[in-house]
Amino acid sequence: MTTSNGSDDPAEGVERLRVVVADDSVLLREGIKRILEEGGFEVVGQCGTAADLMLKVRSYEPDLAIVDIRMPPTHSDEGLRAAQEIRERHPGTAVLVLSQYVESGYALELLADSAEGIGYLLKDRVSDVKDFTAAARRVASGGTALDPEVVSRLVGRRKGTDPLDDLSPREREVLGLMAEGRSNQGIAERLVITDRAVEKHITSIFGKLNLPAAPADHRRVLAVLAYLQD
Amino acid sequence: MSFAAAPVATPQRARTFTAVVAAAAVGAAAAGAVALAHGAARDQTTTLAAVTLLAALSFVGSGLVAWRRRPEVWTGALMVAAGFCMLAGSLANFDSAVPFTIGLVVAPVGAAVICHLVLSFPDGRLHSGLERVVVAGAYFVTVPLQVVMLMFMGFEHVTGCPCPSNLLFVRDDMALHGAIMSTQRILGIVLAVAAGAIVLRRWQRASEPSRRALAPILLTGGVTILLLLGTLLAAQGSTRSWATVSAAERVATALVPLAYLLGLFRARLGRVAVSDLVMELDQAPEPGRLRDSLARALHDPSLELAYWVPESEAYVGIDGGPVEPVASGGRMVTMLERHGRRVAALVHDPALAEDPALLNAVSAAAGLALENERLLAELRAQLEQLRESRARIVEAGDTERRRLERNLHDGAQQRLVSLALALGLAESKVEQEPDTAVTLLQAAREELTLALSELRELARGIHPAVLTERGLTYALTGLAERAPVEVALDVNLDRRPPPAIEAAAYYVVAEALANVAKYAQATTATVSITMEHERLRVEVGDDGIGGADASAGSGLRGLDDRVQAVGGSLRVISRPGEGTQILAELPLRS
Repeated sequence: MTTSNGSDDPAEGVERLRVVVADDSVLLREGIKRILEEGGFEVVGQCGTAADLMLKVRSYEPDLAIVDIRMPPTHSDEGLRAAQEIRERHPGTAVLVLSQYVESGYALELLADSAEGIGYLLKDRVSDVKDFTAAARRVASGGTALDPEVVSRLVGRRKGTDPLDDLSPREREVLGLMAEGRSNQGIAERLVITDRAVEKHITSIFGKLNLPAAPADHRRVLAVLAYLQD
Repeated sequence: MSFAAAPVATPQRARTFTAVVAAAAVGAAAAGAVALAHGAARDQTTTLAAVTLLAALSFVGSGLVAWRRRPEVWTGALMVAAGFCMLAGSLANFDSAVPFTIGLVVAPVGAAVICHLVLSFPDGRLHSGLERVVVAGAYFVTVPLQVVMLMFMGFEHVTGCPCPSNLLFVRDDMALHGAIMSTQRILGIVLAVAAGAIVLRRWQRASEPSRRALAPILLTGGVTILLLLGTLLAAQGSTRSWATVSAAERVATALVPLAYLLGLFRARLGRVAVSDLVMELDQAPEPGRLRDSLARALHDPSLELAYWVPESEAYVGIDGGPVEPVASGGRMVTMLERHGRRVAALVHDPALAEDPALLNAVSAAAGLALENERLLAELRAQLEQLRESRARIVEAGDTERRRLERNLHDGAQQRLVSLALALGLAESKVEQEPDTAVTLLQAAREELTLALSELRELARGIHPAVLTERGLTYALTGLAERAPVEVALDVNLDRRPPPAIEAAAYYVVAEALANVAKYAQATTATVSITMEHERLRVEVGDDGIGGADASAGSGLRGLDDRVQAVGGSLRVISRPGEGTQILAELPLRS
C-alpha cells in the first residue's frame, strides 16, 4: 500500500507520497496542491474530469487520488464513481473524496466493502491545513478519514434508549473520532490526552457496545459504522 | 295499483286478445243492425237503437284503448263490459227466444257496470265502504233481482209487444213480479242518488290536477246517473216524459266513452307542453322559476321541488334549507334521476300518476336542466379552487424567496463581510504584529467555516442535490438524520419516480417532519414510502398530540397545493391526543 519514494530530506521522516488531484476548479486544485506540497506530498498530476483522472491514475499509479465528487460532464457524481473504479482497478491507490456537502448515504456507499484507504471529507476541511494533510496521509497509508459531520449525523441519528447513552461524554467523543478513521495517536492529539487514556476509553467503548475488537484502524471504522448504522 | 287484472302479459298476446274482442264487438253490432233492419226496436225509436249500437261500439273501443294503456287498471275492462252489455241489449230485438232472453237479462247490467266505472275512476278501485255498497247494490238490482223478476213475467200480457217467449219464465205471478219491479225501482233510485252524491263529493274534494283527470268521466257519468234517476222516477209518470228522459239518458251514456277519449287527447296535448318546458329550461331559470315551470307543465300548482345534495346526502329546498320529501297527506313523490344518479325529488298530486308518460317526460326535462345547473355550479367551484390554489402557490414562492434573501443577508453575507474585514486587518498587521495577524486569520477561518456550513444548509433547503443524484432514499435519510425526533424510515421503491413526483414526495416529508418538530411534541415519527402500480404513497406519522388542522396552517395548505399541482391528493388525519398522520398519494403515470 505504501510506496516509499525516498524523500529529499530523510531527517524529516516523512514519506513523500505521490498524489493526483482532480477538481474542475483550477483555483481549488492549485490551492490543494500548495497545501499538499507544504505538507510533504508530491503532486504528480492534476485534472478536471473523471476520464482524465483515470488516465492519470493509470499512468502515474499514485499513492493517493484526491477527487471532487462533482465534475463534468453531468456535475453530479462522476467523482464518486471514479473513486469506486479506482479502488477496483488500482487497489494500490487510496482515494480521498471531497464534496461541498456530505451525505451519509454516499459515505456508506464508499465504505461499503472496505474502509481501507478511503476518505470522504467536506471541501471546507481543506482550510485546516494541519488536519487536512494528516487526513490525507492517513488515507494514503491505508487508513480512513470520514468527515466529522457525517459521523455526528450517524451518531446523532440514534435517539431513544440506546447503549450509546451508557457512554460517557468523553467516550462518545472518542467513538466519533474512531469513526472518522483516526488512529489512537490521532485521537490522543485531538483530545489532548495520553495514548494510554485513549486505549482505555476504546476498550471501555468496545466493551459497552459489545463490539469485536478490531486490530486495524480501518476495520475499527467499519465496526463502529456498522454499529451506528443499525 | 297492484291489480293483476289483465290475463295476458306479452304484447303479442295482448294484440291477439284485443283483436278478438274487437271482432266480437263488431260482429255483435252487425247482428244488432241486421235485427234493427228487419223490425223496429221494442221500446225505443230506431234512431235511438242505432245510437245505442254505436255507443256500445265506442265503449268497447275506448275500453280496449284504456286497457292497453293501463292494463293494471279495471277501467278499461269495465268499459268493454258496459259495451257488451249494450250490444246484448240489442239482442232483445230478435224474434227468437234465446237472444231475447239474453238481451233482457244482460242489458240492464250495463247500468250497474257504468255505475261501477264512474265510481271507480280513475284507478279502477272502489275506496270507501259506501262506494262498495252502492256498486254491490247496483249489481244486486240488475242481476239477481232481474232474473227473479223475469221468472215471474210472461210477456203475453204486455201490450204492444209481439215478443217471443221469456225462457226464464216459471209461472205467472203479477203481484210478485210487480213487487220485485217496485223494489228494483226504489233501490235503483236510492242507489242513483247515493252514486250522484258520491260523484259530487269527489268533485268537490278534488285538487286541480285531480279534476283535470276526473272531469271527462265524472261529468258525463254523473249526468248519465242523474238521467238514469230521472228515468226511474219518470217510470211512474207519463210515457212521453219517460221516453224523453230515457232518450236523454241514452245519449248521455253514449257520451261517456267519447269523453274518455277526449280526456286522453287532452293529455297528449299536455305532453306537447313538455317541449315548451324544455325550451324554457334551456334559458336556465333560477331555482324558483324552475319549480314554477314544472308546476305549469304538470298543471299542479302545489308541486314541490327538492334538490339532492350528494355531499351531505340530504335534500334541500329552493331556499337551501333542508327538506324531507315524503309521500304524506295523499301526495306522491317522484324521484328525478340522471344516469342512475339521484338529482332531485318532486312532491306532487297523485292524480299526475294517471298520466305517467307526461310525468316521465317532465321529469326527464327537469332532470336535464338540474344536471346542467349542477355541472355548471361544480365547474365554477372547481375553477375558483384552481384560481385560489395558483395564487397561493405564487405567494408561497414569493414568501420563500423573501426568506432566502433574508437568510443570505443576515447570515452568509454578514459573515463574509466580517471575513473581509478580518482579512483586511490581518493584511495590515502581518508585518508589524504577525501574532495578531495569525489570530485574526484564525478567526477569519472560523467565520468562514460557519458561513460555509450555513450556505450548505441553505442550499439543502432550496433543493438537496442528493435528491437529484441518488433519489428519495438518500434524501430522506438525510431528513431523518436532521430531525429532532427519532424517525423510522421505510422506503420501498423498485424504480425512481419521475423528478416532479420525487420532489413532491420529498417536500411532503420535509414539511411533515418540520411540523412534527414544531408542533407535535412527539417522540418518534415514521416515514413510509410505498410504490404501487399507478401511484406513490407517502405516509408520515407521529405519536404526538395531534389536532393538526389542514385548513388552518399555511404550511399544510401549501403542501396540499403542491401535491394537487402534480395530480396527487393529500389527507391529514389528526385527532387530538392520537398523533398526526399525513398521507399523500402521487400519480406515477401522467
